[in-house]
Amino acid sequence: MTPEIKALHDIAVSNYWPALAPEIGLGVVALALLALELLLPKRQLATVIPRVAILGFVAALAWTLRDWSAVWLGHELFGGLVRQTTDSQIMRVFFLVASLLVSFIATIVLPKQKAPRVEFFHVLLVATGALMLLAQSNHFVLLFVALETVTVAFYILVSYFRASPLSLEAGLKYLVMGSLSSALLLFGIVLLYGIAGNPLLAGHTAQSMNFAALGEFLRHNPDEPLALVGAALVLSGIAFKIGAVPFQIWVPDVYQGAPTPVTAFLAVSSKAAGFALLLILVRGPFLPLAQVTLPLLSIFAALSLLFGNLAALPQRNVKRLMGLSGVSHAGFLLVGVVASIARTDAVSWAPAAVYFYLFTYLLGAMAVFGVMAHVAGDADADQDFRHYAGLARKSPLLGAVLACGIGSLAGIPPLAGFIGKLLIFVAAFHARLWILLGVAIVAVVVSIYYYFGWMRAAFYEEAPPSPERAAVVPLHLGVAASLTLVSLALATVLLGVYQGPFGQWIATR
Amino acid sequence: MSAFLFYLFATLTLGSALLVVLNRNAVSSAMSLFLAFIGMAGLFVLLEAYFLALQVMVYAGAVVVIFVFIVMLLDVDKLPRQRIDKLSKGAATIAFALMVTGVLWLFHKDQFTGPALPAEATGAVLKTYGRQLFTTYLLPMQVTGFLLLIAMIGVIVISKRTPAATAASGK
Repeated sequence: MTPEIKALHDIAVSNYWPALAPEIGLGVVALALLALELLLPKRQLATVIPRVAILGFVAALAWTLRDWSAVWLGHELFGGLVRQTTDSQIMRVFFLVASLLVSFIATIVLPKQKAPRVEFFHVLLVATGALMLLAQSNHFVLLFVALETVTVAFYILVSYFRASPLSLEAGLKYLVMGSLSSALLLFGIVLLYGIAGNPLLAGHTAQSMNFAALGEFLRHNPDEPLALVGAALVLSGIAFKIGAVPFQIWVPDVYQGAPTPVTAFLAVSSKAAGFALLLILVRGPFLPLAQVTLPLLSIFAALSLLFGNLAALPQRNVKRLMGLSGVSHAGFLLVGVVASIARTDAVSWAPAAVYFYLFTYLLGAMAVFGVMAHVAGDADADQDFRHYAGLARKSPLLGAVLACGIGSLAGIPPLAGFIGKLLIFVAAFHARLWILLGVAIVAVVVSIYYYFGWMRAAFYEEAPPSPERAAVVPLHLGVAASLTLVSLALATVLLGVYQGPFGQWIATR
Repeated sequence: MSAFLFYLFATLTLGSALLVVLNRNAVSSAMSLFLAFIGMAGLFVLLEAYFLALQVMVYAGAVVVIFVFIVMLLDVDKLPRQRIDKLSKGAATIAFALMVTGVLWLFHKDQFTGPALPAEATGAVLKTYGRQLFTTYLLPMQVTGFLLLIAMIGVIVISKRTPAATAASGK
C-alpha cells in the first residue's frame, strides 16, 4: 500500500456510515416524499404523506434504540467529526419523539389552513436529521453545517402559512435575528480556530476545529483574550437559539406568527438543540474557560428567569405566553448547565438533570400544543385565553390534557415537571449557587400565576353566549388524536411518580 | 514590490469601502462595493491564498449583480440625506473608539508575528481543499447538499401561489 492509498483507507474506515443510519434514513424518506408527490394521485396525497413521514420517524427511532449501546460509543468517527455518547443517544431519541409529535400536531393544523403538506414534512424530516447530527457533533465544521441546516429549515417553516401576514412577519424577523446569531457564532468559531492554530502558543494544533484538540489548547492557554472573546461569541450565538435573555427579543413575535406545529418544534427541539450543544461545549472544550463561561451563563440564567416570567404575566395570547414562559424554562435549564460546570466533582449528574427536564418539557409542552391545535380556529396566530372559556365543559378530555400539560410546565407536585425542577434545584443546591437558586424559586412562584390564569379560563369561565368561534371549532377529536393526547398526559403523570431506568441512570452518573 | 502592491490594494479596499457608505447614489455604492471586493481579492492573492481570492471574486460578481438588480427593481434614484440623532452619533463614536483601541492593543501585544503556516496544512491550496472536501469532510458536504435542497424547496413553497393564498390576497 502506498501512503496515499493508506490515507484513503484510514478515511474509509473512519467514515463509518452505519452509525448514522437513522439520520440517513430520515434523509431518504424526505427525498421519497418528493417522489411520492409526483407519483401518487392528488386525492391520496393528503393521507399518505403524513403517514409515510411518521413511519419514517418511528423506523429511525427503532433503529436508534437498536444501536443504543453500540460499540462505537465514545469513539471519534468520521475523522473526529462525530462522537456518539450516551448523552447524544438520549438527545437523538428526544428529537425523534419531538418530531413525531410535531407531525401529529401538523396533521391537525395543516388541513385547517389548506397549506401544502409534502414540503412541510420534507423540511421537518431534514431538520430532524440535522438536529440529531448536531447532538453528536465533535467538530465545529459539522456543528455549523448542521446548525445552519436547522436554521434554514426554521426560516421556511416559520413563514409556512404565507397567506397570513403575521406568519410572514415572523419569518422575516426570524430570518434577520437568525442570521445575526449565525454570524456571531461563526465569528466566535473563526477566532477560536485562528488562535488555536497560532504556532507561537503552547498546545497549538492544526485540527483546531476539533473539540478535543481545541480543549487541549485551551487547557494550555486559559487566559488567551482572543479565545475568551471567541468562546463568549459562540455561547451568545447558542443563547439566541435557546431564547435566553438578552437574546430573547425575537421570541414572542416569532412564536405567535409561526404555525402552531412549528411553534411547538421551535419551543421544544430548537431549545433542546441549544442545550445539547451548550452541554457538549461548556463541559468539553470550554471547560478550562470556566472563569468566563460560569459568570456569563449565570447572568443569562438569572435574567431569563426574571424576564421570562415577568413578561409572561400580562400575556393573554397563548402562543406568546408559551414563548415567554419558554424563556423562563430556558433559565431553569441554564441553572442546570451552570451547576454542571460550577463544581464538576460534586454534581456530576447535573447534565442528566438537564436532559430529564428537557423530557418533562417535551411532554408538557407537546400536550399543551396538541390541545392548542384543536382549539385554534381559522386564524392560527390569534389564540387567546377567551377562546379557552368553557373548554373543560365542551370537551372534558381536552380540558384534562391541558390541565396535565400546564400543571407539569408550572411544576405542580405529582407531575413530571415538578421532579424536573426539583432535580435542577438540588443540583444548584449542591453546586452552592445560592443566588441563582433564590431567583429560580421566585420564578416558580410567579409562573404559577400566569399558568393558572389559563387554567381558570378553561375550567371556571363560561363560554360567551354567542362565541364567534363556536361554529368554527366543533372540537372534533379523532381516535388517534385522543390516544396521543391521553398518552402524553399519562406519561406526564407517570414520569412524576416513577422515573424508572431514567432515574437510575441519573443516580449512577 | 509586494509592499507596494499591499498598500495599493489596501488603499483601494478602504477607499472604495468609504465610498460605499458616503455615496448617495445606490448604484454607485454597489459599484464601489465591487471595487472594495477586488481590492480584498488582491490582498488575499498577496497572502498566497489563491482559493480565497477566487471566492471573493465570485462573491463580488454574483452579489453585486444582485444588489444592482434590487436597486433597479426598487427604483431608488437618490436617497435623501437622513439626519442622524445625537444618541446614534455618540454610540457610533464610542463603538469606533473601542474598536480602534482593541485593534491597537492587539498589535501592541504583537499577536500577529511569527512563522507562516504551510499553505498545504491550511487548505489554502485548491487541490488540498478539494481532496479534503471529498474525504475528511464528506459528511458535512452531504449535509450541505440537503441544506441547499430545503432552501430551494422553501423558496418555492413560500413564493408559490396556492389557492388559499390567492383567496386571501383577493379579499
